[in-house]
Amino acid sequence: MLTKRQNLMEVMKGGSPDRFVKQYEAFALMMKTPITRLKPPVGGSIVNEWGVTLSWPEGQLGSFPVHDKEHIVIKDITKWRDYVKAPNLDYPDEAWATAVADANAVDRNDQYVTVFVAPGLFEHVHYLMSMEEALMAYYEEPEAMHELIDYLVDFELRLAKEFVKHLKPDAVFHHDDWGSQINSFISPAMFEEFFEPAYKKIYGYYKENGVELIIHHSDSFAANLVPSMIEMGIDIWQGVMNTNNIPELIKKYGEKITFMGGIHSGLVDFPTWTPGIVAEYVEKTCEENGKLHFIPSQTSGLPIDSFPGVYDTINKEIDRMSEKMF
Amino acid sequence: MSKIEEVKTKVEAGKSKLVPGLVQEALDEGSAPGEILQAMVDSMGVVGEKFSSGEIFVPEMLIAAKAMSKGVEVLKPLMAGDGSASLGTCIIGTVAGDLHDIGKNLVSMMIESAGFDMVDLGVDVPADTFVQAVKDNTNVKLVACSGLLTTTMPALKEAVATVKAACPDVKVMVGGAPVTPEYAAEVGADGYAPDAGSAAVKAKELATA
Repeated sequence: MLTKRQNLMEVMKGGSPDRFVKQYEAFALMMKTPITRLKPPVGGSIVNEWGVTLSWPEGQLGSFPVHDKEHIVIKDITKWRDYVKAPNLDYPDEAWATAVADANAVDRNDQYVTVFVAPGLFEHVHYLMSMEEALMAYYEEPEAMHELIDYLVDFELRLAKEFVKHLKPDAVFHHDDWGSQINSFISPAMFEEFFEPAYKKIYGYYKENGVELIIHHSDSFAANLVPSMIEMGIDIWQGVMNTNNIPELIKKYGEKITFMGGIHSGLVDFPTWTPGIVAEYVEKTCEENGKLHFIPSQTSGLPIDSFPGVYDTINKEIDRMSEKMF
Repeated sequence: MSKIEEVKTKVEAGKSKLVPGLVQEALDEGSAPGEILQAMVDSMGVVGEKFSSGEIFVPEMLIAAKAMSKGVEVLKPLMAGDGSASLGTCIIGTVAGDLHDIGKNLVSMMIESAGFDMVDLGVDVPADTFVQAVKDNTNVKLVACSGLLTTTMPALKEAVATVKAACPDVKVMVGGAPVTPEYAAEVGADGYAPDAGSAAVKAKELATA
């Protein structure tokens, strides 16, 4: 029996996996580093390292940046330098002790030591200045937007350097939502101009420094951005929703990129979920998308569920499909 | 190209710095304010269609709506009290328990561009607040309820039922990621739209039916 890591490699290269990869099983996520971004507690709010106020109201599935006049960080994009200051990334070795111990405890033959980065560049920009203002500024103030993105890239490169230095990761799991469920937020041409070169630098740095796998999360439609994803160096697109034509994507791009998702979290992870509903969606996605260049997974961006039991039930159902199809 | 045609082209292209000047030039040429407004509404109709078909994306739609609103600012003083220019008032909000506002804001912008006066109640709006807003505003033709989460779909259902029971003459439309036409029909909504462009078309259809 292949290890989780070997099995994933077989799926990616179109070889001979001996079962489906079960969602995030091959990735040991390093979440306790001193440079992991802050998140508010459920029911609370924080001002994060960049000055963004984030609120997680009770009963919600995630946190939201607060963008009223008082809280918005960038009040004028042409003066972004007056408002944006990258946080400190220099921490003593002692601060890394837990993360180093976590990484050392991983059997790297079985799993990838995986560092986690969120939010990514696109989200970071709209955290700082709101979605509407950001999207208009790509047209109205392109120069300032390029400068801001360059600044964020510089920060991400320093972040990557710290991860590499302390943890020698095998993989990076990087979040950045690029679309709604029906389309990308921006056109492929705009994406190519603002984000492709930026991510090429970041992901290129990881690859040059021993990181084997780049996993990028965008739980959205983004089929039109796949050529850019390949160009950036993404190995696995996690979060691919079935509003994308996944079988067609696998056929067209599977040799270059693997697709992870197909099980829309909104359809299986809700208060009145049942194992029967989960079974139906898992079966459908495994049968439709097949064994190669595809990893069945919930679309949400972490190996957790909003309603207890869903994540494990998906795993159980993937096991059942492995027995059936392998 | 006539000035009014230029206004149309520049609104569609989202040239918010140029549109106010062109609107003024069109007025100086003798075009009626209503005629210029209609030209901009038509442009936004084209923008909405292109968005719905995937030809353009959110930024293009946003800058077009901004350009139109800059043009409307020039026309407003000339059209004060001219109710015929409006398709009526539309109350919009994201339902109780749901804090997502980006989709709702886009829909609001497009419905406004189609010729409605908008009252935006924001996010996390209880069903009764929609009803109160109908009572507090004049000429309300439409209530638009948005919900992005599977978990808030019951609140969407409650909002529709509450508004329909209290204000039978007002049309209610719904939208948001988990909403389907079947669900909209099941909860008794008068209309559904899958995106901001079609929402404007549907709003117009419901208000003029």
